Amino acid sequence: MLKNYFKIAIAVLRRRKFFTFISLFGISFTLTILLVLTAFIDKVVGDNYPDKKRDRSLYINRLEESGKDNMSSGGPSYYFLNHYAGSMKTPVKMTIFSGSKGTNTYINNKKIAVDYKYTDANYWDVLEYDFLEGKPFNQQQVTNAERVAVISEDMKNEYFGDVPSVVGKYIEADNVKYKVTGVVKNIPVTSYMTYSQIYLPYTVSKTDYKNKGYLGDYSAILLAATTADVPKMQAEYEHIMQRVPMENKGFNVLYSHAEGYIASYVNTGNEKQSGVTLVLTILGTFVLLFMLLPTLNLVNVNITRIMERSSEIGVRKAFGASSKTLVYQFIVENIILTLLGGLIGLILSVIAIEVLNSANLIPNLVLSVNFTVLAIGLLICLIFGLLSGVYPAWRMSKLNVVTALKAQ
Amino acid sequence: MSQISYLKNKIMFKHLFKLIWNKKKQNFLLISEILVSFLVIFAVFTLVVYYYQNYKKPMGLDYQDVWVVNYNNAYQAKNVDSLDLYYETMKQTIRSLPDVKEISFTADNTPFTQNINTGGIMVNNKKIDGVNWYTVDDNYTKVLNMQLLDGRWFNKGDAATKTKLIVINTDLKETLFGTGNAIGKVIGDGDNKNKMKVIGVVQSLKMKGDYAPTAAGIYARTDTGSYRWLGKILVKVTPRADAAFEAQLYKTLANYMKNSDIEIEHLTDKRVSINYFTLVPIIVLLIVACFLIINVALGLFGVLWYNINKRRGEIGLRRAVGATGNAVSSQLVFEALILATLSLIIGTFFAIQFPLLNVFSLPASVYIIAMFLSIIFIYLLVLVCSLYPGRQAAAIYPAVALHED
Repeated sequence: MLKNYFKIAIAVLRRRKFFTFISLFGISFTLTILLVLTAFIDKVVGDNYPDKKRDRSLYINRLEESGKDNMSSGGPSYYFLNHYAGSMKTPVKMTIFSGSKGTNTYINNKKIAVDYKYTDANYWDVLEYDFLEGKPFNQQQVTNAERVAVISEDMKNEYFGDVPSVVGKYIEADNVKYKVTGVVKNIPVTSYMTYSQIYLPYTVSKTDYKNKGYLGDYSAILLAATTADVPKMQAEYEHIMQRVPMENKGFNVLYSHAEGYIASYVNTGNEKQSGVTLVLTILGTFVLLFMLLPTLNLVNVNITRIMERSSEIGVRKAFGASSKTLVYQFIVENIILTLLGGLIGLILSVIAIEVLNSANLIPNLVLSVNFTVLAIGLLICLIFGLLSGVYPAWRMSKLNVVTALKAQ
Repeated sequence: MSQISYLKNKIMFKHLFKLIWNKKKQNFLLISEILVSFLVIFAVFTLVVYYYQNYKKPMGLDYQDVWVVNYNNAYQAKNVDSLDLYYETMKQTIRSLPDVKEISFTADNTPFTQNINTGGIMVNNKKIDGVNWYTVDDNYTKVLNMQLLDGRWFNKGDAATKTKLIVINTDLKETLFGTGNAIGKVIGDGDNKNKMKVIGVVQSLKMKGDYAPTAAGIYARTDTGSYRWLGKILVKVTPRADAAFEAQLYKTLANYMKNSDIEIEHLTDKRVSINYFTLVPIIVLLIVACFLIINVALGLFGVLWYNINKRRGEIGLRRAVGATGNAVSSQLVFEALILATLSLIIGTFFAIQFPLLNVFSLPASVYIIAMFLSIIFIYLLVLVCSLYPGRQAAAIYPAVALHED
């Protein structure tokens, strides 16, 4: 039976090539856009290099203090994180690191823009960077405030050129010479919490990390022993936050949360506005509006195609086919059409992603069609087929035999 | 004669409406499709018109050969005199470098950055919020080659005045004083505690790049205390200043401010990157909208074409009783245009809400122009999609068509 439907579907598609083209164009193009969008989101929030232990990590990157008239919000300071988050019992490990900042370095009369970041020694244990050569700096080097640096592959190529090994060589940044201890794989700037080109021990920072102000430019990652400990760890941090004394009299509330990666990634820094809801609303509205037009178009074309086949329907109904059978046949036809469109869409998205990657709009952000994206794509395909198949099929099955036959 | 043609038209329109009404179910889908396309096109045109209007306005500043020095952790001294001396010496040192023309200290909201610093002001007991506040020094206008339209800019003599002196930009002047004179007027700050006197009016700057609007702004002069928190220096250099000179400037600054992290950026690069932030979303939007429209056009074309094939009998009959080919084809085109008009009436009802309710606070002219452009666009689209099927209908031979029935 299914084989028959399949044969009919192919025959129908080939008979009206123009309509088939319109449908396929609509489906494949819509899918391409959605696939590129999901590939982008998947890469930005789903890529777990270098934080591979994301499922048992919590991130702290915001602190908001507010009072009656004033509010200030930003990253916490080293002191705040070390003093309060550092006193927690649940985490097995914790790392504190600064955001990345820009500076310049000049070599052979050429200017190189450099992003650098201060970290502690734990950073290299909590996060799993791929070392192409050398190794991270250790606790001893951090305590001694040694001028050592881990650099990214891009930085190595730009500063030293194409040389086999740079470990032990000196790199100058911000007018200070640092000894390179290791080279790591590049990270795109969209992973803003872990992105940098040069990683330095926080003890060599020119700004005073011992400053007791609460606001600063640091973030922390807390690592739990198991995934099950994560809620406990989160609760413990909330508990500690309730007992933190206010920094000064102007403030009466202090908010800071240890959150999962995605929640912390889209944190708006405003307690009243959840970043996750905001991003989901914007994305949801866009996708909905965007899909509305091709769907309407598809439904329109589908109805037209069905009306055209009214005599076929009439004959089948006259010979005893029930409405259910006809609806079923039509849905199968539609799903085949949609899957075909999905296949073309997949090919188009591979091309689009290839073009986007070679354009290198965001350095080191290499998009790829992976299995998550493929699964999402197929699911969207099916929803599409049903959405644009059910309505015309329902209308068609209501057609009276006599009317259907007379129409021709 | 004109009476007759008027009646003829009236009858024809009535007839066309009847035809559309008879197939309301199918036409409902067509109408909603055109309606959604109109709204999408309206959104795209609104953005394009808005950016274009901003783009046409003058930049107000010269960004060529201007560098921005960012430093943090500024020198702190309890004594104002030693603070003053420290920065005075630094200014002299930078100025003495060969390729430096002029320098100016400013707060973080330099041109083409995302940083903003806004506050409220009180004028005639009316509070105006969100006015940009720029803390800059005496040389700011020279570095950026800004246009002074009225009054004067700050100078050394302003250090010891009793009331705070400010310079406002044209946007703020228009909001507060319209076409009247602004010089000498007194404005209160957010709490209306301190009074500020306007001494000059400058041309508004497009601080956020070529495609962003200008905004109301107040310029206030740096005082000695501000050096404790300032973090940027704008440096105007000669056109021949190169990377070697930049390295020299960098070393000089780094050796002088031992505790600071220093970064030098170029305004030309910053302009490119801030424009990029505006342009990339709109390019993506345009590509998406383009494909959506092609999609809709193909669908519309297909449906109209099919309709004509289905109505061969009707068309054949009309031809048989004497309708010309042109009359038949224009009837079909008119039918499509009436459908478009129905969607546009509904669409315009939604679109007109944007200027009426002042959504997104864009100027009303942007919405109106965008609305007209979208209406014309939709009519053209429908016309193009119905012309070919209309032609085909005109080519139907009555004998052939009627024979089939």
